[in-house]
Amino acid sequence: MARAGTNLRTSYLESNEVMRRPYQKLLVGLILAAALVLPFGSSDYFLHLINLSFLACVGALGLMILTGFCGQISLGHAAFLAIGGFTTVILTVHLTMPFIVVVPAAAASGAVVGFVVGLPSLRFRGVYLAISTLAMHYAIIFLCTAYQAKFGSSATAGITIADPVLGPFRLGGEFAWYFFLLVLLTFVTAGCVNLVRTRPGRAWMAIRDRDIAAEALGINLTRYKLSAFMLSATLASVSGSLAAYYSHVVTVEAYTLDLAVIYVAMIIVGGMGSILGGLMGAIFITLLPYGIDSLFEYLPRAWRFGSTVFGVQVGAVGICIILFLLFEPKGLAEIWRRTETYFDRWPFRYRPLDTTRR
Amino acid sequence: MKKQIFCRGVTAAAIIACFAGFSAAQAQETYKIGYITDLSGPLAGSYTPTWEGFELYIKALNDRGGINGKKVDIVLDDDGLKADRAVAAAKKQTERDQVLGIFGLSLSSTQGAVYAEMRKAGVPVVTTFSGIGDALPPAQPFSYSTGVVFEVAGDAIGELIQKIKKGGKVVGMTFDSVGGRAGIAFNQKSVEKAGGTWDQVLFPVTTTDFTPFAQEVAAKKPDIVVGHYGSGQNLGVIPALRRSGYNGPYVVASYGVTEDTVRQAAERAGSGENIYYVTRYSSSFDNNPSVAEVAAAQKKYGTSKPFSSMHVTGWALGKLAEAALKGCGWPCTREQLDKTIQSLKVDIGGLSGGPIEMSATDHYGPSYWRMYIWDAKANKLEPQSDWLKKGSQGYK
Amino acid sequence: MQAEGHPSACVSKRPLPVEFVATVAILTCTYALLAAGIVILYKAGRVVNFAHGELAIVGGYVFYSSGLMAGGSLWFAILGAVVFSVVMGGFIYATMMRRVVGEPFYVAILITVGIAIVLKSAIIVIWRAEQVTINIGVAPAVRLAGGATLSYMDLASIIMTITFFIALYFFFTFTRLGVQFRGTAENPLLASQRGVNVNLVLSLAWIIAVLAATLSGVFYGGRAFLSTESVTIGLAGLTAALVGGLDSLRGAVAGAFVVALAQYLTVRLIDPVLSEALPFLILLVVMSIRPWGLFGTVEELDRV
Repeated sequence: MARAGTNLRTSYLESNEVMRRPYQKLLVGLILAAALVLPFGSSDYFLHLINLSFLACVGALGLMILTGFCGQISLGHAAFLAIGGFTTVILTVHLTMPFIVVVPAAAASGAVVGFVVGLPSLRFRGVYLAISTLAMHYAIIFLCTAYQAKFGSSATAGITIADPVLGPFRLGGEFAWYFFLLVLLTFVTAGCVNLVRTRPGRAWMAIRDRDIAAEALGINLTRYKLSAFMLSATLASVSGSLAAYYSHVVTVEAYTLDLAVIYVAMIIVGGMGSILGGLMGAIFITLLPYGIDSLFEYLPRAWRFGSTVFGVQVGAVGICIILFLLFEPKGLAEIWRRTETYFDRWPFRYRPLDTTRR
Repeated sequence: MKKQIFCRGVTAAAIIACFAGFSAAQAQETYKIGYITDLSGPLAGSYTPTWEGFELYIKALNDRGGINGKKVDIVLDDDGLKADRAVAAAKKQTERDQVLGIFGLSLSSTQGAVYAEMRKAGVPVVTTFSGIGDALPPAQPFSYSTGVVFEVAGDAIGELIQKIKKGGKVVGMTFDSVGGRAGIAFNQKSVEKAGGTWDQVLFPVTTTDFTPFAQEVAAKKPDIVVGHYGSGQNLGVIPALRRSGYNGPYVVASYGVTEDTVRQAAERAGSGENIYYVTRYSSSFDNNPSVAEVAAAQKKYGTSKPFSSMHVTGWALGKLAEAALKGCGWPCTREQLDKTIQSLKVDIGGLSGGPIEMSATDHYGPSYWRMYIWDAKANKLEPQSDWLKKGSQGYK
Repeated sequence: MQAEGHPSACVSKRPLPVEFVATVAILTCTYALLAAGIVILYKAGRVVNFAHGELAIVGGYVFYSSGLMAGGSLWFAILGAVVFSVVMGGFIYATMMRRVVGEPFYVAILITVGIAIVLKSAIIVIWRAEQVTINIGVAPAVRLAGGATLSYMDLASIIMTITFFIALYFFFTFTRLGVQFRGTAENPLLASQRGVNVNLVLSLAWIIAVLAATLSGVFYGGRAFLSTESVTIGLAGLTAALVGGLDSLRGAVAGAFVVALAQYLTVRLIDPVLSEALPFLILLVVMSIRPWGLFGTVEELDRV
């Protein structure tokens, strides 16, 4: 069976392949190996930051599928995270359920909420959809605030949770969490990659590009739009639940509209419509404030304090959004692809035109 | 082409610099302590002067030669009022910077998380400004507070305001948060115990336009109105209340409300009459040697915020820090520091009504509260009561 | 929502009529100015501006600082605010909005979200996140029944809002530039082919929008205070615009009235704590029943 060049695909099987070339497999292998070795040489603080990034990755993948692949603008991601956090709280504090039950339960509650929040998408598009997700965000946060006001102990503002126990293992400390999250993230990423390269993914992309045409082609808009919302909410809810276990405290004040915007920034910076972009964007945006902190350490002490550092950290996310939208709309993933093309195709500059490539 | 390469090179260098900073470490012969607070978020106006007061004390201490010749080094971090950033800063300080203890903190929602994380790491944390109940007996290990704990504050205020009008109708205002509700819950108890009647108005945390809420309060025709919130809210509520026609007594419950805020609010309201102020630490206008000491340091080293009772609060915390580190000896460890704090009785002179006392089960100790009234002509606070001593039992 | 075992504080005496009318009128003016700006931007460029609240508050801060720099002079403050509006509006259009003309709708919206974040950080960096009040004209001017007072600033805000809307009406109906604006709003391609300088019209739209926002911000700073939290009025303004119809100035006023009335009644008669979430509740209701707003053109909802 002759292959029509390494870049052109001549069968459905070929176009579905995730990694076609040996170097791609090698690269992924190297990254995984590095990830396995990383914690042995790193400080707890660095691992803490990486763990935060992993948690963000899970949430960002959910939003990437909803907005990047299915084209439904959603500003309600913080509310989904809150659902995960508060489901965890209710189940551990009131019903003392173990970790192994709580996380799937959080996923389930996320799915249900995602379904509800997704209903307006059947009627609205674009800005109006974004506004209705915003309204849902406030509704959910309101409920969570009411819960916290009633049940949050006045002693600790918020609700505390103990370390999760998985059979004989106690999941505590950066080291253990790192491996747990790494394994989880690998499965989630693999799952998402598989979803987007098969039928659901193609349906979502069709809806994103032209939903009237998609409907005419026989794609059930209701089913796919709602499933995108549900998947997004499920992933966010799992992320929120794990984050609750990781930081041991849940407060509703953490789930602001700003947080939802930060997740949107992650997928913009990463590059909409790309799983790799979701991961890159999440890691970049999560580490950005801490990176700026480090940068500021090089400056004279007087500059560090007062408002400047925090202001710059807040503003940096906004500037990233604007700069990426203006100059690099396909995000970090596109930068990666250009680098990959440069080395792969050298001495040629560009790949031959291939519209099936994502 | 060249411009592209240049831009990319700069970006890459910046990114590398960011990550290089993660692993920097220092080693010196000093006492290292950490301070985390909100330096530029929404409540920076209250937290920054508290930090400055603490910094002033440590600067003065170092100029005196430090503790037995060893200087005190403070690692400062900003949490922007976010719990996860506070926790990350705490972890950084304990792991990278190897601090012995953490001081300061900010809003109640950040305190719970940091207390919990540092308890696991075995690092003592002393909050000032405000406090959640972890420090009240029976106290949680490694969690201390020298600040204004909501429950105790509410209780003290309820007693003190009887001096304005005994047994009157009191309307409490706060925003819808755990700390606010705790404060007014105990305020209500002590008002009703003294024979008064109680009503309350709560508003969302993010409110900035208080006109409708103020009208609601005025419509209840109270004898006294008490406000349990910070500077910003007082700045909005006081003029709004006056505009709604309520010109009666208004009590500022000082969770970090500076005298400057009171002055500003009085100006906007048109008249500074009938504004009271209850606080745990002396007002900056007090005429006693301890406060004068703080004022002198503020003049000498300079601060970015005008001198206020928040500086006094931070200074008192500084005194506690010195006493703790001195008692710890050299070399000091975290466990040792924790034990030392538990046995402390720090004489802070005129900064409050009495000393700060800690014990193994009580990480807050007795607190002293005073009520002032704003004198609009002299533009200062005048004491209206003696120091009221409040124990720390019975709030949990 | 009240503390346990506590006599209900929810339902209190009904608000006095004069107080009620005055407060709702002032609130309506604030939201109407914001909504007007959003409507103008939507009509001109089909952009929903999520940075409107931040523009308003930063405009207020600029007004305050300009006044402060000139030793408390009102004229200098006004000059500062106007210059800010022109420069900021022009800048946003020229550097950002113009570039994303052909792109999908969400790009422009997300850029405004980015602008919102940057403006918020500017408040933190430039003004050190201080809470600032604008103390011009706060002396009580009118005494109402029941003891409440209205300040000069409150009266000025009502008068200026009315003046602003009248000026807008005359501008769009009778001036050449205004007519060109309406033409561009309907069909930019055709307008530019007929010789209308579309760039000028769109930058003007942005400038007017920022000016309206700044005006609103100044009055807000006079009545309440400016801080990084105050930017939430932008969302209330957006709600007002959506309720009234994103492409109708008349709707902006109507929507503002609805939101202001509902908020006030919620605080006074129902439960003060709900007032934050209320605009969104209204939004959900309106969008379920009549998504294009009260006065908006009935259109296919995919034209966004």
